[in-house]
Amino acid sequence: MEHREWIETLVGRHEKPLCRYAYSLTRSVSAAQDAVQETFLRLCKADRAKVEGHEAAWLFRVCRSRVFDMQRKEKPMNPLTPAREAVLAAPGHNPAEAADRHDTETLVPRLMDGLPERQREAIRLKFQQNLSYRDIARVLDTSEGNVGFLIHTGIKSLRDQMKTLSGAVS
Amino acid sequence: MNFDPNDPRLTAYILNELTDAERDEVEALLAANPEAATFVAELRATTGLLATSLAAEPELTLDPARRAGIAAAAETQPAGRIVEFPWWRTLAGFGAAAAALMLAVVGLHLQRVKESRSSANEQQIVAGIVDEQPTDAARGVATTQAGIKDDRLVASPPEATFDAADLEMMAEPPMEEQSLDNAFTMSAPAPAAAPASPALASTRAVGFAAKGIVGSQFAERRRQERDNVSTIISPSQDDFDVIRENGFLRVGDHPLSTFSIDVDTASYAVVRKMLNDGFRPPRDAVRIEELINYFTYDDPAPVDGRPFATRLEAAPCPWNPRHHLVRIGIKGKVIDRAERPPLNLVYLLDVSGSMNDPNKLPLVKRSLQALVNQLDARDRVAIVVYAGAAGRVLPPTPGDQGTAILEALERLEAGGSTAGGAGIELAYRTAREQFQSNAVNRVILCTDGDFNVGTVQRGDLEAMIEREAKSGVFLTVLGFGMGNYKDSTLELLSNKGNGNYAYIDDFNEARKVLVDQMLGTMVTIAKDVKIQVEFNPAVVAAYRLIGYENRILKKEDFNNDKVDAGEIGAGHSVTALYELIPVGQPLPDVPAVDALKYQMPSSPAAPDTEALTVKMRYKEPDGDTSTKLEFPLSAEALGQTVSSDDFRFAAAVAGFGMLLRDSEHRGSFTYADALRLAESALGPDRLGYRAEFLKLVRNAEAITGRE
Repeated sequence: MEHREWIETLVGRHEKPLCRYAYSLTRSVSAAQDAVQETFLRLCKADRAKVEGHEAAWLFRVCRSRVFDMQRKEKPMNPLTPAREAVLAAPGHNPAEAADRHDTETLVPRLMDGLPERQREAIRLKFQQNLSYRDIARVLDTSEGNVGFLIHTGIKSLRDQMKTLSGAVS
Repeated sequence: MNFDPNDPRLTAYILNELTDAERDEVEALLAANPEAATFVAELRATTGLLATSLAAEPELTLDPARRAGIAAAAETQPAGRIVEFPWWRTLAGFGAAAAALMLAVVGLHLQRVKESRSSANEQQIVAGIVDEQPTDAARGVATTQAGIKDDRLVASPPEATFDAADLEMMAEPPMEEQSLDNAFTMSAPAPAAAPASPALASTRAVGFAAKGIVGSQFAERRRQERDNVSTIISPSQDDFDVIRENGFLRVGDHPLSTFSIDVDTASYAVVRKMLNDGFRPPRDAVRIEELINYFTYDDPAPVDGRPFATRLEAAPCPWNPRHHLVRIGIKGKVIDRAERPPLNLVYLLDVSGSMNDPNKLPLVKRSLQALVNQLDARDRVAIVVYAGAAGRVLPPTPGDQGTAILEALERLEAGGSTAGGAGIELAYRTAREQFQSNAVNRVILCTDGDFNVGTVQRGDLEAMIEREAKSGVFLTVLGFGMGNYKDSTLELLSNKGNGNYAYIDDFNEARKVLVDQMLGTMVTIAKDVKIQVEFNPAVVAAYRLIGYENRILKKEDFNNDKVDAGEIGAGHSVTALYELIPVGQPLPDVPAVDALKYQMPSSPAAPDTEALTVKMRYKEPDGDTSTKLEFPLSAEALGQTVSSDDFRFAAAVAGFGMLLRDSEHRGSFTYADALRLAESALGPDRLGYRAEFLKLVRNAEAITGRE
């Protein structure tokens, strides 16, 4: 496959998942798109042989570091980045409003928000991107064992909370 | 192995991440320890819920400008490492195609500036692309040394798959969290790229090929997307057909407007979900007629024994006061709950493993419990389940024996794989056992769309469902779980079975479909309902049908009983709106057809007392020939300035949909106008749907205000 075709295939396959992933980290549409564009621009210049075989892990890892890189650059200027503000101001994230919605549709995202960041990230990579433990370990730069621990602890804590909630209802 | 809730192997077991030996150990534990088994089942339910919830998150894509930037960069093949490329060589390496693409991007940009819809942000994007290469390359060089240095400090395993060059690309300076576990423990590369879930991958592949993103078609795709360039969010896995909004038509050239009614409401649920999640829905997800018809209207019910009544109303158009808005309101015969026919229902429930999510089988149970509460002694309920094998868990039971029915529901558990064919056969057999000619005989299939017909041939299955529908047992399909909108099998089955297909994403929706509108869902009162409007050129110069773009029929289809159209259930409301330009008002840029040379001109002296006539055709639920009804609207009625709550509310919803779709006809209408109009028209709003709409308009206003 030609270089250009190869890039386009990967863009086609990973554009949406990466955008969704980047958005989960930035909560800003334009910042997420910036990070994903940067990721693919880096892919254009990357040594193909080094990427092939684990494209998803490579892309997610680069994308993640783009996001944190961009956030670090912004941080000294705005302690509360515009991205975060947008989320706080978004109608769907009004805590009072969120509190009276009990359907499962909003319950899971709300409970997820309460998990530690690393657990949240690992869970998202597993259940939204369907990456293996090994690939998640590559993206998060940790061991497979640690990924197993993060995911299990996160799932268990969600299960505990849901149990408490349903107990309170019935 | 002892049971320890903190053992990560329990989750790894569910996710298939264990070695064979480890898996055997866990399975032995689960077999021996019921507490552990329950715990793992709960974990599994949680993982299912998570996957569903995360899959339902709105999807984001790159905008065309950024995508074109990547396409341009993809033209240049790296000869080695980035450091070997001075920025000017990168730039010079651009082919003519890349340059053309860039020009196209700038051109696109200029056009959008002309349309005054460009934001400062977009200008930056274009600027960013034009000088992206040099700055990016330069930055790459700058970060390279630092990156290599850092990574040599933290990690140098011999078998690492990403070497220093990769790390240079990734250029990830250390972060706080990394102190947790800083070992860079990458083993040999996986033999193949990490596969996404196969179903997902194939869906994507199809969509990808269909959209033609490959090769030089980037530019083509960008052109296609130019019209909805502001739409960057689309929900997961759902593709929306492009809707070309109906424009104004001159009455002289097009005196007839013909369409099929539509009682679908799915678009409203999609729009609601996206707006509540903080996203602007893509314009093609906004089907205005489905937004309008989500609501119940209080039009008078028929009194003359007809299956439905029709009400015509006119008032000045809220978004263009020089135009009129005409509302056609259709109200299906309301059947008193006490006088409704008895129901002979067979619930056919998918209890296969995939139904294990809390928003599937548990929601099915709650939904059906809500339905059971509506039943009485005349009704019969039976439950058939299918998974690996089909079985009857409840024989036909009178509807007033709620406890027995509920207990049977309560006992259900998900597990095993799906074999729907045998289940459907058993369900129909059960329905026939209790068949009553005066009753509504229905099989209600509840599934998540992973419908596997098992040993039965698909064609045989369809034939059976069709045969059963002809003999009076209809099929209702309820889809559960998110992200299965495209399940053509289910929709096809319900169509074959003279049935309906509803999508239940939460308990509120279940209550709407199975309790509040139970009779509409269960009892069909008219089928193949078509509308044809004839306009009087002496009164109306031009008209525009709002929404129903996918339901337009040819004028000759109206009298053709072989052409199918929509069905109306008991108590259903259907509303259609026309925007009219009265004679004497300026016409927008609508090209006229030349006057005919050989034909007689149509009577120029049509009486100016009537503005239009609405003609309707319908068939009885079991009939094959249609009946025609006619309702004229007087010209005088066009002058009305007082309108009903229903009129104003439907207009507010239509205006809201036009704003979301960025309709060229929206005039100066704003979300605030929609809000004001809807607030003046809440009516009794017994179930709070209209109040929920107000919230949605506020959300939309906030979201689009941010853009």
